[in-house]
Amino acid sequence: MNKFTKVLTAAIVLGLFVGVCVLGGFVEANNKVRIALVLASTTDDMAWSQSMYEALLALEEQMGKDNLELVVSERLENPVDAGAAIRQYADQGFDIVIAHGAQFQSVVFEVAEDFPETSFAYGSAFKTGPNVFAYEPLAQQGAYLNGLLAGYMTKTGVVAIVGPVESGDAVKYNYGFEQGVKAANPDVNFRIAYTGSFGDVVGAGELAKIHMDAGADFLTGSAQQAVGAVRACAERSGVYWMSTDMDQSSLAPDTVLAAQVYHWDKLVAEMLELRKQGIRGGKHLYLSFVDDSLEFRINPRLADRIPADIMEKIEKAKQDIVDGTLVIELPGGTK
Amino acid sequence: MQGVVISNVVIGILATGVRLLAPFLFASIGEMFCQRSGVFNLGVEGIMMMGAFVGFFVTLRLGNPYLGVVMAILIGIALGLLMALVSVTMQAPQGISGIGLYMFCWGLSGLLFRIYVGFITSIEGFKPLPIPGLASIPVLGPILFQHNWLVYLSILLVPISWFVLFKTDWGLKVQAVGVTPQAADTLGVNVNAVRYQCLMLGGALAGLAGAFLTVGQANMYADNITAGRGFIAVALVYFGRWNPVGVLLGSLLFSMMNSLQLWLQVLGINFPYEFAVILPYVVTIAALAVAVRHVWAPTALGKPFRRESI
Repeated sequence: MNKFTKVLTAAIVLGLFVGVCVLGGFVEANNKVRIALVLASTTDDMAWSQSMYEALLALEEQMGKDNLELVVSERLENPVDAGAAIRQYADQGFDIVIAHGAQFQSVVFEVAEDFPETSFAYGSAFKTGPNVFAYEPLAQQGAYLNGLLAGYMTKTGVVAIVGPVESGDAVKYNYGFEQGVKAANPDVNFRIAYTGSFGDVVGAGELAKIHMDAGADFLTGSAQQAVGAVRACAERSGVYWMSTDMDQSSLAPDTVLAAQVYHWDKLVAEMLELRKQGIRGGKHLYLSFVDDSLEFRINPRLADRIPADIMEKIEKAKQDIVDGTLVIELPGGTK
Repeated sequence: MQGVVISNVVIGILATGVRLLAPFLFASIGEMFCQRSGVFNLGVEGIMMMGAFVGFFVTLRLGNPYLGVVMAILIGIALGLLMALVSVTMQAPQGISGIGLYMFCWGLSGLLFRIYVGFITSIEGFKPLPIPGLASIPVLGPILFQHNWLVYLSILLVPISWFVLFKTDWGLKVQAVGVTPQAADTLGVNVNAVRYQCLMLGGALAGLAGAFLTVGQANMYADNITAGRGFIAVALVYFGRWNPVGVLLGSLLFSMMNSLQLWLQVLGINFPYEFAVILPYVVTIAALAVAVRHVWAPTALGKPFRRESI
């Protein structure tokens, strides 16, 4: 590198640095609520991350862009990188920083101590702090209904889960699903296997193919890896997929029979309301059938394939969950 | 009855293992040529991501997976050229430039997907192509002859690459350049040209490996779709001791173990799934540790060629 190139490179780097600092200084403080979202995968993963992103977009639409500013950082799978982003957003004066994953717990608490005015939110989790909200979908509720439907409708008598990693939401979802299946028909052969990854769509597709080769005709699974399994199921006839996190029927309209859909917007709106009251954290928030922040949706295209008596049983189970007469058991240590 | 079921499971395990083999074989045979010529390309994972995206995207837009495969190979060649430019001509450290290439492709594939597609959608990829006559052979038929054509191609690539490497003039040049580049140079072999060719070939095969994931296996694209398979392919080159047959054995061991652990889980064999998931890695590492006593490697691996340094 000659001298001219060195000077030029230094000048460009310096210029960029100064530019960023000047821009940063111009960030105005006004009355609009500023929300930053930190994601481990992407806004188009058709699962966990996309469900939160779309909910925030809906909230932005509802409140108006003048009243809500939304920024997103994606692909921060590594909690250390995510921690750097969380700290920067807090430093830039964002009101709420949402770290959308249980793996961000320790970095959230670390940063939260240094920024007492900022609210932090993360989940699925239950540990809160003075300015930290913990949130979680009661994934077992929709999972139970998905399982019930699969258990009633399976023709081969084999129902299977394409699991990611046995932790967090996946555990709750899988427990709920299994109980639903067994409640519908205790003789159903229930199978569960894991890909060992949240994001390996190819691996999930292969696992789904094996489940189907081994006789399963109703499959389900959580996390973004699941879309690979949805696609694999769509290639075989007589096989159905039960979605969770969001409605995945756009990917396989003739295969996705039902979906548990997360409406995070209600949960975030609740956080905004609490902040207005001066409460910056300390609450454990849920998505649940009770307030419709959790939705059980039947794919309208396939609705006529579900016999009316089964549909009635599903509706009743949902009502029982809302009333509290039907409680889905979870393993010890899980909330 | 029980016997029939067990034999079906065994056939299932072996057939799945063969299907899982293809991306590793494509990528690691390509990488083997690169390393045989003395260049260590850690960018395979990234080239696979770009191949996966391009294969998917062309198939999505034009409806022709064959064209998708061709374009994935072309983008692989282009990225191989880029790696060659950086590591051969500019003589940058190979480990760093490979990682750089991987990160570049990781970012670029995600960006292109966001701009030009924007949501997860599926494509019509290759269907299985049972080989007439052979596919109906009991046991062997479903294991070997009921896959899509890319699986057959990946297996055919083993004898082809063995022949090219050991029996052709060009293959001998590749070997010479990777062991004693100075001597090869004195004999009139253009060392850097051979390395360029190998990196382009390696890139083409990595692009093909990526395209296999999207048009031959998943029939869709999602961010980070390779999920580390390119790095495993690099490790398999070491496992296979820079020999196509060794690479085949390593890939086979890894894929079969992976298939076995998935089937064990599906059949509900009482086994902690964490152990199942790590089984292919553990077995491969153990086999590597036990089997490879005399480690031979291309002696000029990782060293840029400088004529004046004689």
